[in-house]
Amino acid sequence: MGLTREPLIHKFPFYLEPIPGGSLVLASLDKMINWARANSLWPLTFGTSCCAIEVMMAAGASHHDLARFGAEVTRPSPRQADLLVIAGTIVKRMAPRLRTLYEQMAEPRYVIATGSCAISGGPFIYHSYTTIRGADEIIPVDVYVPGCPPRPEEFFYGLLTLQKMIKEGETIRKPGVRRRPVLAALPPGITLSQIQKEFQKLLEEKACVNMQEAQEKGKIFGRKKE
Amino acid sequence: METQTLLEKLTALEPTVMPREKSDCPAITISPELLLGFMKKLKAEPSLAFNILCTHTAIDWIAENRFELIYQLYSLEHAHSLRVSTSVPRDNPLLSSMSSIWRIAQWQEREVYDLFGVLYHGHPDLRRLFLEDDWKGFPLRKDYQDDFMLEKPEWA
Repeated sequence: MGLTREPLIHKFPFYLEPIPGGSLVLASLDKMINWARANSLWPLTFGTSCCAIEVMMAAGASHHDLARFGAEVTRPSPRQADLLVIAGTIVKRMAPRLRTLYEQMAEPRYVIATGSCAISGGPFIYHSYTTIRGADEIIPVDVYVPGCPPRPEEFFYGLLTLQKMIKEGETIRKPGVRRRPVLAALPPGITLSQIQKEFQKLLEEKACVNMQEAQEKGKIFGRKKE
Repeated sequence: METQTLLEKLTALEPTVMPREKSDCPAITISPELLLGFMKKLKAEPSLAFNILCTHTAIDWIAENRFELIYQLYSLEHAHSLRVSTSVPRDNPLLSSMSSIWRIAQWQEREVYDLFGVLYHGHPDLRRLFLEDDWKGFPLRKDYQDDFMLEKPEWA
């Protein structure tokens, strides 16, 4: 990596403090490390049922784009991942494997439980002989994302909550201390009709183009219809 | 083949066969003793030629004290399908295995054994398929009870 012309101080104004008149820079190592960790989460692709479609595919595809939050490098191996997204139902046969996968991940490791099945067993909580009632019976969970399944927006909200949690942690002084798990539900007040309206607007803007109208306005091919 | 002609042909093959009413596809009922010989005929007979066993499953009729076992057959040659069902008593669920006719039946019978506890005579390797080997009981039976299971409370 070559030297950048622009001083680092301009890039991280909140983390670095210059000493007046000198060439030294003071920084909080905690904040630097947390900043790096929070913005390069590598998720493990662990999808056991329908939430995996929403979280791994819909959230990762270009429309919603997980890469905006630096978490697009999904790894099939737990040894290269530091974020375990539990997307789906955990059954008794799967539980030891999930525990093994969690233990194989290198520290620091974070866990997001998405969907009702991973939180509490969901629709299988009663009269089920095999479904584990919540992934937190097996491994510690940091963030819960409710939904059945959660929309990609809700998953992003959970991811941002986790990033916030990581950034607030004290990595150097108290390594390995877990913060209290949080429930990352989308803030109240966002209604379905609002989301639908926004989606409709997005579709109209991006997916459907009225060719004739656009040509008359001169948006297409750069010339107006005579 | 038309449903009516198919059913007539089957009754000619085995007179004790009962066609089922109220069915969306050709369906028959047969006694469990005759099942193996009848299924062999179904595959060997050139005009029937049921060469695929699509599904094998069971239903627990606890009030009538019987397991109903369903075989869904299909013929690639003639493109017709047939549903064969038979019943075994609940306290002695013993049946001959179809694995000598269709090899896929080995897996499907293991699944039915795993979840319902139906025993198959002549199956080469009757073990549990999905559940742990030391599992006790057969969970899809209606009277199955377990320490792990939660009863639904009244307020839920």
